[in-house]
Amino acid sequence: METRELKINMGPQHPSTHGVLRLVLDVDGERVVKAEPKVGYLHRGIEKLGENGSFQQVITHIDRLDYISAITNEFAYCRTVEKLLGITIPDRSEYIRTIVAEMQRISSHLLWLATHALDIGAMTVFLYTFRERETILDLFEELTGARLNNNYMRIGGVSRDLSSFFIETLYKFCDEFPDRIKEYDILIRENRIWIGRTRGVAVISAEEAINYGLSGPSLRGSGVNWDIRKAEPYGAYDKVDWVVPLGDNGDVYDRYWIRVEEMHQSTNIIRQCLDKLPAGPILVDDPKIVPPSKEKINAEIESLIHHFKLMTEGFKVPEGEVYCATEVPKGELGFYIVSDGSSRPYRMKIRAPSFVNLGAFNRLVSGGFIADVIAVIGTIDIVLGECDR
Amino acid sequence: METVKKEKRSLGFLEQLYVGEVVKGLAITGRHFFRNLFIHTAHLFGLMKSRKGAVTVQYPEERRVIPAGYRARHRLVRREDGSPRCVACMLCPTICPAQCIHVRAGESPDPAIEKYPVEFNIVLDRCVMCGLCVEACPVDAIRMDTGIVEMSAYDREEFVNRRDLLLGMNPQTPPLPKTRHG
Amino acid sequence: MNPTFAAIISVVFSVGFCTALIPLIPGIGSYLERKVAADIQQRIGPNRAGFLPFGILQAVADGIKAIQKEDLIPEHADRFLFKAAPYICIIGVFSCFAVIPFSGLFPLAGLNIGVYYILSISSLMAVGIVLAGWASNSKWTLLGGIRSAGQMISYEVPVAMSIVTVAMFAGTLDMAAMTAAQRSGWNIGFWNSNIFVTLSFPVYWIAALAECNRTPFDIPEAESELVAGYFTEYSGLRFSFFAIAEYAEMFVVSALAVVLYFGGFYLPFEGSIPWIRDLSGGWLALVHFAVFLFKVWVLIYLMIWIRWTLPRYRIDQLMDLCWKALIPIAFVNFIGTACWMALLG
Repeated sequence: METRELKINMGPQHPSTHGVLRLVLDVDGERVVKAEPKVGYLHRGIEKLGENGSFQQVITHIDRLDYISAITNEFAYCRTVEKLLGITIPDRSEYIRTIVAEMQRISSHLLWLATHALDIGAMTVFLYTFRERETILDLFEELTGARLNNNYMRIGGVSRDLSSFFIETLYKFCDEFPDRIKEYDILIRENRIWIGRTRGVAVISAEEAINYGLSGPSLRGSGVNWDIRKAEPYGAYDKVDWVVPLGDNGDVYDRYWIRVEEMHQSTNIIRQCLDKLPAGPILVDDPKIVPPSKEKINAEIESLIHHFKLMTEGFKVPEGEVYCATEVPKGELGFYIVSDGSSRPYRMKIRAPSFVNLGAFNRLVSGGFIADVIAVIGTIDIVLGECDR
Repeated sequence: METVKKEKRSLGFLEQLYVGEVVKGLAITGRHFFRNLFIHTAHLFGLMKSRKGAVTVQYPEERRVIPAGYRARHRLVRREDGSPRCVACMLCPTICPAQCIHVRAGESPDPAIEKYPVEFNIVLDRCVMCGLCVEACPVDAIRMDTGIVEMSAYDREEFVNRRDLLLGMNPQTPPLPKTRHG
Repeated sequence: MNPTFAAIISVVFSVGFCTALIPLIPGIGSYLERKVAADIQQRIGPNRAGFLPFGILQAVADGIKAIQKEDLIPEHADRFLFKAAPYICIIGVFSCFAVIPFSGLFPLAGLNIGVYYILSISSLMAVGIVLAGWASNSKWTLLGGIRSAGQMISYEVPVAMSIVTVAMFAGTLDMAAMTAAQRSGWNIGFWNSNIFVTLSFPVYWIAALAECNRTPFDIPEAESELVAGYFTEYSGLRFSFFAIAEYAEMFVVSALAVVLYFGGFYLPFEGSIPWIRDLSGGWLALVHFAVFLFKVWVLIYLMIWIRWTLPRYRIDQLMDLCWKALIPIAFVNFIGTACWMALLG
């Protein structure tokens, strides 16, 4: 008898496609023969928008790439532009950037853990992780003025300094957080059902992972020792003591384990950065880039004119092109910016980790069960805002 | 690079029986259940009000305190005589990445001041709440300190905040405690 | 009293009782589920519906909402089967109430093969679910229906084997007689006397969870995989019928567990509690009724607790668990009890 595969459309309206991913699955009973991700439902043309705004305006668009970890996006973008400008930012702002980026990594991983666990059926973990994420978002709210799209970093530093209250609360969070992770661990990490659902599922070898261009926890899950924070240290990552968690099987469980370990490491990094936080300015002392302070504007006409120049035209960035990669929670977020010497990027290409990781989707899914599709969507940790740009 | 490897271990016989881990998980959820049930019951009798059983904020009745630096809905600041402080310099419409601010300048009746906004519209449904307008303003005329986070309307027209509406808004009151964690 | 008249009264009462249970059990069940889930997850749960405190009227509000909703039928669905499927589920589950001994006055129908009757009639639920999955003409519901067919048929084997183990030991299939046999002591007369019967309880309980499609076995409806499984296309009242059937099924399997393993409606050491001995028939029945319901709701609470703790199985692991673990254990229990009775009894 002739048989053929059943074609089903998973998404864009589906409870667990994390926004607007559409998957066309060919299934043979419960087995997935082929999976084809269709992207683009959340395309907003951020690369193009970037060409129409001055370098500082673009930050607001960059926030909306991976909207659950906006600050790491800003970090990546600001680093790129700073590289092009050839400036180094003050130590204090490097530390502050590292702290907020690691906080963002924790909150992003918490959201990932929540949805991953929810998709696999452990609903309670979802609300426990949101409890902790709330603390981080509250801190962001206090520091940056917004919870998700923070618009916190500036080219040449950060926009606001840490308050003593912020530091106190963050210390307290760092002390409590490992215990909270233990709670999730008991609920899922050692649970036989969870292990059954994740171990040996969607295995990818180190070589293949590299060939597919995977990055971040998805790459390290296969045992490839590649973390940009270690390989090409930036921020304050080389000034603190931390380790890179590595898996060996390259399955869903190892990637899960790595992200949970990374939360521990991030807590470590935050605590050390807070300990070592140097005094000093939070913005680079370069009047060509950083607008004068409000007091100065009120006091002297030169500063006012200068402020007008910077706000209307933006600062000029020397002609050239640059690629700069940053380790964000999802993997390697790279910006490739071409400048023609004006105050707007001539071209901005974004290497979004979600998009590249999604490329390995068919490889990870085919041969598995329909239930594994959900586990894989969770394990590559995609955010469609970043994927579709 | 220093790394930490995942500990390799196969499951012991007891773990393969599922039971132990399931019981541990049940203990965690059960602890939360009985603890919160106890606290909620105590609340009924007016006891233990200081301990919260749930992290929920009962929104319309109970509101979070919004921290001082929060970028909420905009307002325009007035001078002492009640006229807008804005001098219609056009910096905010220029810097706005969402292009949601529209200003039409007019000659100010006050001879000491050159211009003033005849029209000042902020189209809230386009606004991305980035706060660049506040940063750009040289005379500190626009602020985002109203503490209003509820921005909904039945009609797109209602999202267009005109000058007088913006001038009529006040900063968040009372002056804030630092945050709700304090 | 005229015997015909008494018979009519008895029928009216029986039917009325079962009909009253249709909204009551899912109402209480869903409210309990929500509140327990909320407390486990540090939330508050329903607390607004109606004028009564604690959102007690939430279930009523849900019912009213379901009734008001439009009854959508997909265009190319098999209209007759689509409409019939929820009723088949409901009938299958609520028929079981006829033989459940809530107290000394029950069961409504004094069947001497009550356990057997429950086993067979509750299988109608599987039929209803498969029909719903097939008739909706949607790929998601079809997958859900197929999954559920596989799951419910497989898990009926360990359930039946466990029940047979107890029944063999009890020497009867009559639920009232089984209850009566456990009257003394802690009401656990069956399972503390024989290791195999003891072991049959976890087997029964796990398989029963699967029969009810509860997490960790909620594969037919697996909301994160199959949208909502077999009832994806249902809306309004028909949709709520499936929910009603699910809660009623939970009630039935819990009630069966109470009868088989926890001494039915008797209190522990009932014979030695003086005030119970002094109660007249009607009051005694009422006390027994309350005791029975209490035991059942404790077991339902356990189900809810498990649901909010564990992740979900995958279909192949579910089948592995059934065919490679539960059925062999159930079989060993069955043979073991037989040998035990032959050699020691």
